[in-house]
Amino acid sequence: MARTRTLLALGIIVLFVLLAVFAGQIAPFDPFQGGQEGLKPPGSPGHLFGTNHIGQDILSQILYGARISLAVGVSAALSASLIGAVVGSLAGFFGGWVDGALMRLSEFFQVLPRFVLALVIVAFFGSGTVKLIVVLAILSWPQTARLARAQILSLRESTFVEAARLSGMRAPAIILREILPNALAPIVIVGSLDIASAILLEASLSFFGLGDPNQVSWGFMLNLAQAYLRQAWWMALFPGLAISAVVLSFNLLGDALNDVLNPRLRESA
Amino acid sequence: MWRYILKRLAQAFPLVLGVVIFNFTLIQFAPGDPVTALVGDYPATEEYVRQVRSDYGLDKPVPERLALYLGQLARGNLGFSFANRMPVGELIIQRLGPTLMLMATALSLALLIGIPLGISAARSRGRLSDWVAQVGALAGYSVPDFWMGQILILIFAVGLAWLPSQGMRSARSSATGLEATLEVLPYLILPAIALSFRYVALLSRITRSAMLDALGADYVMGARAKGLSERRVLIAHVLRNAALPIVTVIGYNVGLLIAGSALIETVFSWPGVGRLLFDSISKRDYPVMTAILMMVSITVVSANLLTDLVYAALDPRVRIAR
Amino acid sequence: MKTISRRSFLKVSAGGIAAVGLAGCAGAAPTTAPAAPAATAAPAGPAKGGTAVIAIDSDPESLNLGITSGYSAGDVGAKIYNGLIWIDTNFAIKPSLAESWTISGDAKTYTFKLRQGVTWHDGKPFTSADVVYTFQEILGKFHPRSQALVKRMKSIEAPDASTVVITLNDAYAPLLLQLNVFEAPMLPKHLFDGQGDVLKNPANLKPVGTGPFKFVEWTKGATVKLVRNDAYWEKGKPYLDNVVFPIVPQATNRATALETGEADFLSSFYVPLTDVERLSKNANLEQKRGVAFPAIYFMMMNTTTKALATKEARQAVAFAVDRQRIVTQANAGIGRVGRGPFGDGFKWLLDPAVDYTKQYPRDVAKAKALLDGAGVTAAADGSRGKLRLIVDAARAPFITAAQIIKENLKEVGFDVEVQTLERAVMTTKVYTERDFDLTLQSFVSSGDPAIGYHRLYVTTTNKVASTNATGYSNAKVDELFAKAATTPEQKDRAGLYVEAQKILAADLPSLVLYDDDTVNFATKKLKGVFSGIDTRDRWEDVSLTK
Repeated sequence: MARTRTLLALGIIVLFVLLAVFAGQIAPFDPFQGGQEGLKPPGSPGHLFGTNHIGQDILSQILYGARISLAVGVSAALSASLIGAVVGSLAGFFGGWVDGALMRLSEFFQVLPRFVLALVIVAFFGSGTVKLIVVLAILSWPQTARLARAQILSLRESTFVEAARLSGMRAPAIILREILPNALAPIVIVGSLDIASAILLEASLSFFGLGDPNQVSWGFMLNLAQAYLRQAWWMALFPGLAISAVVLSFNLLGDALNDVLNPRLRESA
Repeated sequence: MWRYILKRLAQAFPLVLGVVIFNFTLIQFAPGDPVTALVGDYPATEEYVRQVRSDYGLDKPVPERLALYLGQLARGNLGFSFANRMPVGELIIQRLGPTLMLMATALSLALLIGIPLGISAARSRGRLSDWVAQVGALAGYSVPDFWMGQILILIFAVGLAWLPSQGMRSARSSATGLEATLEVLPYLILPAIALSFRYVALLSRITRSAMLDALGADYVMGARAKGLSERRVLIAHVLRNAALPIVTVIGYNVGLLIAGSALIETVFSWPGVGRLLFDSISKRDYPVMTAILMMVSITVVSANLLTDLVYAALDPRVRIAR
Repeated sequence: MKTISRRSFLKVSAGGIAAVGLAGCAGAAPTTAPAAPAATAAPAGPAKGGTAVIAIDSDPESLNLGITSGYSAGDVGAKIYNGLIWIDTNFAIKPSLAESWTISGDAKTYTFKLRQGVTWHDGKPFTSADVVYTFQEILGKFHPRSQALVKRMKSIEAPDASTVVITLNDAYAPLLLQLNVFEAPMLPKHLFDGQGDVLKNPANLKPVGTGPFKFVEWTKGATVKLVRNDAYWEKGKPYLDNVVFPIVPQATNRATALETGEADFLSSFYVPLTDVERLSKNANLEQKRGVAFPAIYFMMMNTTTKALATKEARQAVAFAVDRQRIVTQANAGIGRVGRGPFGDGFKWLLDPAVDYTKQYPRDVAKAKALLDGAGVTAAADGSRGKLRLIVDAARAPFITAAQIIKENLKEVGFDVEVQTLERAVMTTKVYTERDFDLTLQSFVSSGDPAIGYHRLYVTTTNKVASTNATGYSNAKVDELFAKAATTPEQKDRAGLYVEAQKILAADLPSLVLYDDDTVNFATKKLKGVFSGIDTRDRWEDVSLTK
């Protein structure tokens, strides 16, 4: 079962990545290219998914939109994981005030809903793809940091680390060569889930109109679709399906990895 | 035990204070000020601006304002809302009712549907139904809830016309008391379903995983070896231990849900705290913003504390370790 | 292409709009307004009773109409308060709290005779002292638009309890027009005088007026409820028992509410444009369409931006922007393509020489040529640089229009970056900091170009919101506007405005994209809904049939 899930998840992800990368070649139209006639239903000549209110082709927008969703999701999650791993390792390994500060900080972030914080920051300071990635990364790293810290703490006392210490290895080397590789697994899992939630978060912010109107983003497509819900259901259906599919695949991936890397569950009957 | 509670509360205090100060400071750097946001399409008069500024202390330097605000808070005064021109406390209480109603319904749905789903998935582990349940749960978790809300409106309110599409009650109604509460029910259904999707998914996953964990544990093997019926094993041993992570997750999410779901409330025009928060952000109504964020953090901290206590009550090992 | 006349149920004649100026102008001789209609209760009159449900999009900014010009505040306030006059659909000025008035020969002194026997909702009598107080202490200090009006008054006096005399510094053509309930609602002196801060007065949350409906309660975020004022001065009216305003922020939800019967009425601002076509086909709904007080939707161009500093460059932009497409796709075909610097809402000041559709038809080649000539040269790949277009994130038609403009300007080589900013942030950026290249805005005329349109073009150095932020300054235009405001005769004013328009059509600091059409919907069960020029007004005339 785990194999099937992983394959399905990877399949969808790879598909969307390819669509995003080759959007320029595959897309029948420039996504910003509108026309005099808007609101054409799916199946209209030339427009498989129909057009929106200013005549832009929905299919092309879905293809180009994959770029933003994936770019924002992956960059934000990657940055969060990187920062989180580093900070968490330092906190776990050295303890002391670094540890204390980290714990306070991550508690702070746990206490406020991420969406609300993102809303506040973006509403105040403006949107834009880069800003969005930064905001999402800042909101997500504490979770990874805590995880990394917990891993470090438990591994710190283990025998092979002890052995490394006895053999004269210095702290950074110990962290890098002995501890991190073992701590990686949960970080990767959380990373995959982080990508999923970053994509959802971006969609939610764009839905409120706080996204970047100069890029094609699925969330923004849903924002525009709102006013045309009744006469152009396709404007909402396709972006929503796309978001769901991509987010689902990253969640599936994280799930599958979790099963693979958590052997206990596999053994029990 | 009381020492433990006090210690946790003492730890929570700087956290909540931190939230307040953070929020306050953030707003000071935000472009746009409350007065501009209050005006119609015409420029506000100087007198108006001057009075609003002085009334709300906006003409004082930031540190002084923060000190004043904290002093106010200490006396239990949450401040005055610029945009709504009423005391913040009153305003929030007004909106809290609808949010709690929505939240309670959504969480109840999640519990009623999610947990049994999780249990059955755990028991049919490895089979197709488990696989379907797992992917289904993930799907519920992956779908944007506001989009789900719109789809629900399209199908049930517009297409089939079974349920109303917006608001909390008919504007025509003049019912009070119990009757008024009952009238809310048809309006409550769609937003509650849309909101609950995520939590049904979450709970079924947590339940399943916690059950599997517990099912694989030594004491279960022991109980089975003793000859106890599967049912008894399930209830007495497995569920009891599986309850712990479930409770933790519920507790944490209850805290967050207090902020209301701004997205669902907007899609359905539900007059809750979530929308109030969003509106207050747009209007730079910082007393309301701060009060809500503070309330959220207090609720999360309390929920976590309660959860830990329940955890300790259920699992003697935890108590002893403490 | 969709046209207006095809779809109107009730046509507001274009000729009615021509009356706009006439109604406001006094003429050289003293005139007397028609005497108040005899108060009669028609024997078999409209049915009494019932509750009307009017959906609005947000909580009113305040229930004190004297300190805000917000739209939902006006929707609610128009039922609670009265102005000295009201304006009907032909732009005729009708007596309200002022029964009659005389105007001096030099058009500087207006003497109003107030209606007798009017009481406030709390029972106290309405007198001239209330009028004087309202103007001096409330409108003059707090009302965004009327503050300018009060500044024009040399004095306002109450020689006796039912007479008010307003003396102006200079003649002001649209004075009477501005005395309606939205611009100058009458407020009770006894609740405000000596009660401290006007803004903090509890009467702002529990308003007391002289209007047809009394305030019952306001549940924030949910509803505002009003009940009939049985002691209303127009005998036999209002007919409705209650008026309820549910707050429905989502536009599509409001349309749905109309269709399901949960709401009875939506005034133009709250009608979601994209649903207009569907709603107009609904057999249960009645539509009123046409221009009420004209409003223009335009794009300001920052004259301090290098690429837009010359008028040729701005004209090029006019040649590039497809205004018809904007009307069709961004405004659901509702509205008319901008004809000139004031749109086409005021027929009396139109001139065939000024017509954007003829002066600036869509012509990409011409636009490019003009840009080249203006020194805004293109690089090898055709690009001429970047422009930032700022719009209010809450206005969906503007976001769509911005995308169309982005497409249009790309054809001539500009890379437009659209910034959708929150209201408060946008206001700061555009008006206070003037940190923009292009921005989409709209101004309401409030009945006369001297009230609401002049602010777009006159020299403005104080960085105040909703004024001219383009940096454009033309002394001649300023002079023409100032004169036109104080000239009583409409045909003289028209001449001045035409001259100003000719200059502005060439200089183009702002490009008028389109004129709005207001579209209001009411269920057919409501009768008497569309009697005032502003459909939020005159709900004392409304009745509900079963």
